[in-house]
Amino acid sequence: MSGAHEEFIELCAGHALGSLDEADRKRLEEHLASGCAECEGALAEFSASTVLLAASAPPASPSPRLRERVLGAVHADRAREATARRREEHGVAGAAARRRGFPWGAVYGWAAAACLAVAVLVFARATWRLRDELAGGQQALAALEQRLLESERWAAVLSAPSARVASLAPTPEGNADLRARATLDPATRRAVVVFENFQAPSGRDYELWVIRGAAPASLGVIEADENGRAVVRVEDVGDPATIEAFAVSLEPSGGSPTPTAPTGPVVMVGALGG
Amino acid sequence: MTQQERDLACLLRLQAGDQRALEELYDRYSPLLYPLALRIVQASTEAEDVVQETFIQIWRRTGTYDALRGTVAAWILTVARTRALDAYRARASRQRAATRAHTERPVEVASSPPAGEHGLLRERVRTALGTLPEREREVLETAYFEGLSQSEIAKRLNAPLGTVKSWTRQGLRRLREILPDEEWT
Repeated sequence: MSGAHEEFIELCAGHALGSLDEADRKRLEEHLASGCAECEGALAEFSASTVLLAASAPPASPSPRLRERVLGAVHADRAREATARRREEHGVAGAAARRRGFPWGAVYGWAAAACLAVAVLVFARATWRLRDELAGGQQALAALEQRLLESERWAAVLSAPSARVASLAPTPEGNADLRARATLDPATRRAVVVFENFQAPSGRDYELWVIRGAAPASLGVIEADENGRAVVRVEDVGDPATIEAFAVSLEPSGGSPTPTAPTGPVVMVGALGG
Repeated sequence: MTQQERDLACLLRLQAGDQRALEELYDRYSPLLYPLALRIVQASTEAEDVVQETFIQIWRRTGTYDALRGTVAAWILTVARTRALDAYRARASRQRAATRAHTERPVEVASSPPAGEHGLLRERVRTALGTLPEREREVLETAYFEGLSQSEIAKRLNAPLGTVKSWTRQGLRRLREILPDEEWT
């Protein structure tokens, strides 16, 4: 390891502790942005030590009323934002705002969900049990994709050398048995999404979403067969460069009334990989 | 489920609007956050405000959490520490601006010291810190609780900046080596 890199590891310690001087912090951030796995690992290790440091603070208990106060404050903050979002969507200024970008709150939530899905998948890779589960799910999906090979045009999507894949993972709101995988061919902009174990509760429908530039757009309701299998073929999924993730929500029968926002819980989400 | 898996699930549920996820995070983390905030701001009312602001930040900024750089626990504590240092500095500058000196509220000691897992962890960490070389412990505590930068610490300890950097690294590494299996990390 080079001496220069040793120095970055040392900066990681100061960064985790939150004590770097501005110039050092900028230097390290630039280095981390270049994708140094070793430094990210070091940062995680050092940050574990800072948790210990935090735990060394002298014992103290807040007033028993604090719990209610904090929960109430977050609830109020969330309600305020929802109101602001509705106002923007319905207001005259809303149309112009939507052309520039989607309402902040929705964009934020979806981007965050996609980010977290990546985090969950990264984490799952380190866990044997979860990895086995994923492997099992992937086999079932591969079998389903095989059926698509009857149609050459769609088979081309799956076998395209430039194909990009999003493996969707169930959120805590979703049934853990749900499996889904989206494959996108950036060259033709066609996408194939396969689903397993998608039996919607009666009176509800699962709906597929593409998150483009962090804003959701409906790709339609998922119509599964009696075995819970479904395939959604998307003729033109839009500019592949702007697609962040795919997601599934549980909606009232017939799907969300608005094509740009799910109303039900997000049950699966998966960021688009390379 | 490990602590980290539970926390990740909580963040996802929070995104989906599940209020119980927030309650779960509050119950898990407030016993760590409040003492940390109090240690930094040195006043109970402000420490409670810091805890409140921390949870608002957690729900607003869930998307900024990066699992590659550390656990959810580390992230939440970093948010709280930053808020607490901001509050402390804001008060310090208000006091400097004021013509009369304010009387600081004394730090209230908990009527019943929290027991359970946090109490035990606290004891183990304090013992571990006690075994670190004096200068390393001093650097870690000054940086973390007082928010001094490395060059400020170097000045205060009258030590070269490079030495402060290597004390930081060694201190954090040693702490982790003494307590390698703490679930909270």
